[in-house]
Order: sequence, then structure tokens, then C-alpha cells
Amino acid sequence: MVGECDMQGLSLDDTAAYYAPAADEVLTYTEPTPGYCCPLSANIYGIEFESFRIRDYETGQCLFEVSKDPEAPPIDLNNLPPEMEDQVRCISYDFGAEFLDLKTVGTTLQFAVGPNEVPNFRMIERHYFRNHLIKSFDFNFGFCIPNSVNTWEAIYDLPELDPELKQQLIDFPWETQSDSFYYVGETMIMHNKAKYAYTLPP
Amino acid sequence: MGLLTILKKVKQKEHEMRLLMLGLDNAGKTTVVKKFNGEDIDLISPTLGFNIKTLEYSGFKLNIWDVGGQTSLRSYWRNYFESTDGLIWVVDSSDRARLLDCKAELQQLLQQERLAGASLLVFANKQDIDGALTAEEIRDTLELGSIERRHWKIVSCSAFTGAGLVDGIDWMVKDIASRIFMFD
Repeated sequence: MVGECDMQGLSLDDTAAYYAPAADEVLTYTEPTPGYCCPLSANIYGIEFESFRIRDYETGQCLFEVSKDPEAPPIDLNNLPPEMEDQVRCISYDFGAEFLDLKTVGTTLQFAVGPNEVPNFRMIERHYFRNHLIKSFDFNFGFCIPNSVNTWEAIYDLPELDPELKQQLIDFPWETQSDSFYYVGETMIMHNKAKYAYTLPP
Repeated sequence: MGLLTILKKVKQKEHEMRLLMLGLDNAGKTTVVKKFNGEDIDLISPTLGFNIKTLEYSGFKLNIWDVGGQTSLRSYWRNYFESTDGLIWVVDSSDRARLLDCKAELQQLLQQERLAGASLLVFANKQDIDGALTAEEIRDTLELGSIERRHWKIVSCSAFTGAGLVDGIDWMVKDIASRIFMFD
């Protein structure tokens, strides 16, 4: 299940009001940021996420897939009403409780790049339950070719969760959250959020 | 303590390896990586950028970079040389017509200073196709025998059946490990 997050009141439309922390700083975060750290207009490279997919590495089975609707009309990001911003920048996933029992997963991100080359693209993604850091990714894509379509699959063992924490993740849906920060060089160009639940019956 | 020692220690700490997979378009690079990772290989379209796989293998964290091989993309290959520990050159063994093109591109890569420290694995791919050249024939045509000061190996494989893939990657990982993580 994919839906929109309810984060009304957090959006900011005044560029001056954003505080974009450096990569070293976000790597110390242990809880979600209260709002977005950069405006949508910071994405001057026209990077677009096309799909995200999770598979069970043991069985090869696709567990989850979401892709951009190619038929959807383009959104004018410069005239986006603040209440719409969450719909564009935050996504909610319900993976079901059995997800937490998986051993190894592969997560594949596909993104397209605009007409200019991207010199040094880096993603930092922090996953939290409340104010507890569960998992952190820090990946340097480096150079991206103009007009390219690229994928990155990270295959990894899910962190072993303390049974008590695992039960809490199930009992408190949407309190597991993540921040994805994207940098080109030292400059933050995108910041998206996600919320997770593990409640759907198998 | 020299700089080389420091570099080795940094790498050693993370046990990371960067493998760069290149070759002409339609050599089967993406199919090699997908098959190696147990993915469906039925629908693979030309790579118009890169496909990266990050995985654990034999206690190492591998980052495999598969970059598109179309002529228009080859000028961008140099952007991916930095920090490469191993170069995997994939050859379509059934594409006799472009074997000299294949040789020329490989020779250019081997002259690159930033790839000077990389081990070379050549995959003689598509061995499942009738009339494919053998690994020995490809070794001779590509003149691999004249390579100096570089660890290299050629392995026959079929990304379609999966034959040979583990042998090749295994050699590469062990070779890099013996060069870089020698203090373990």
C-alpha cells in the first residue's frame, strides 16, 4: 500500500526559511527532521525517481514495487500549493508484519537525470523508529551521464531487531520514518521523507 | 608510514571493493550482473547510464558498476575509473565482426593511469551460442598475453546459463583481496 503522508503545517514555501545541513551533520541525526531541508526547486539537475522495488533475495520474489505513472501530467513545482508538497515529497509504505522476518533484501532505485551531467551525486538515507536510528545508507553515485537512466540495487541483510523493538514497529504504524538526503557536491538538492507500517495481513 | 599504507588501511577497515564492468554494447554486461545476483534476465534493455549492485560476497562489500557500452556512452567511461580495484571486460564471443573494435577499446582502457592498479577479468561471454569463439581465441585476438604488470584472467562464461560467472568473480575478489587486504 502506498499513500500520502499527513504532515500538514510542515511545508515551507519560503526558500530563505530552509536550513540545508551538510552531509556530515545529517549523518549524526537520530530522528526525522521536523520539515524539509531544501525547497523542491533545489533539484536543478532534474533528477527524477522512476521506480523503487524491494525483492526477497533468498527467493527472488518481488515484495514491493512502485513506479512513476508515465501518463501522469507533470507537476509545476514552482506553483505547488504547500498542502500538496507532502504528496510529492513524502510516501507511506505498509510492508506487512512478515517483512520484519526477512533475512536479506535487495532494494532497487531507478532514477533519470536531466540534460546536464551531474558531477558528484550522493545519497544519505536515515531510517528511524521514533528517536532511534535503525539503519543508515550513505552511497556515492559519483558522476551521472546527461539524460541517463540509472539503477542502484543494494543487497543487504536486514538489521537484527530486538524482539521488543520489532513488536513496537508493528504496534506503532507510521512511527518508523526515513529521511533521504541527496547532495551534488556539498549542496543538498533533494530531501524526501517516508513513513512505514508493518500491519497489512499477508 | 607511507601514503600507500594509509590507503590500504582505510580500505581494509571497510573491506570494500569497487568493480567496474565495461565492454561493447550488447556484450551482456547487465545480464552478467543480473544472473550473478539471481535476477530475472528475460527483459533487459540497453543500459543508458549505469546499474550498480552493492552486495556482500565472501566477507567483502562489492560495488559492481555496470556502465552502458553504446558508442555515445563510451566517452563517459573515464568518469568511473577512480578507485577501481577490478576491471571486468565483457566480450560477446559470438560477435566476430566487432572483435577488433573490442580489442581497441580494451587496449585504450589498459593505458589509463587511473586503472593501472586494477586487476583485469575478461569474460568470454555467450559461450552458449553456436560458433562462439573460445576463450583461447579471444585471448589471442585481444593480445592479453602481452599484458605486463597487471593481474589478469580470462574466463569463459554464459550469462544466459550462468556458467562461469562465479568462477570469474571469485578469482577477481580473491586476487584483489590478496593485493589490498594483505594485512588481514
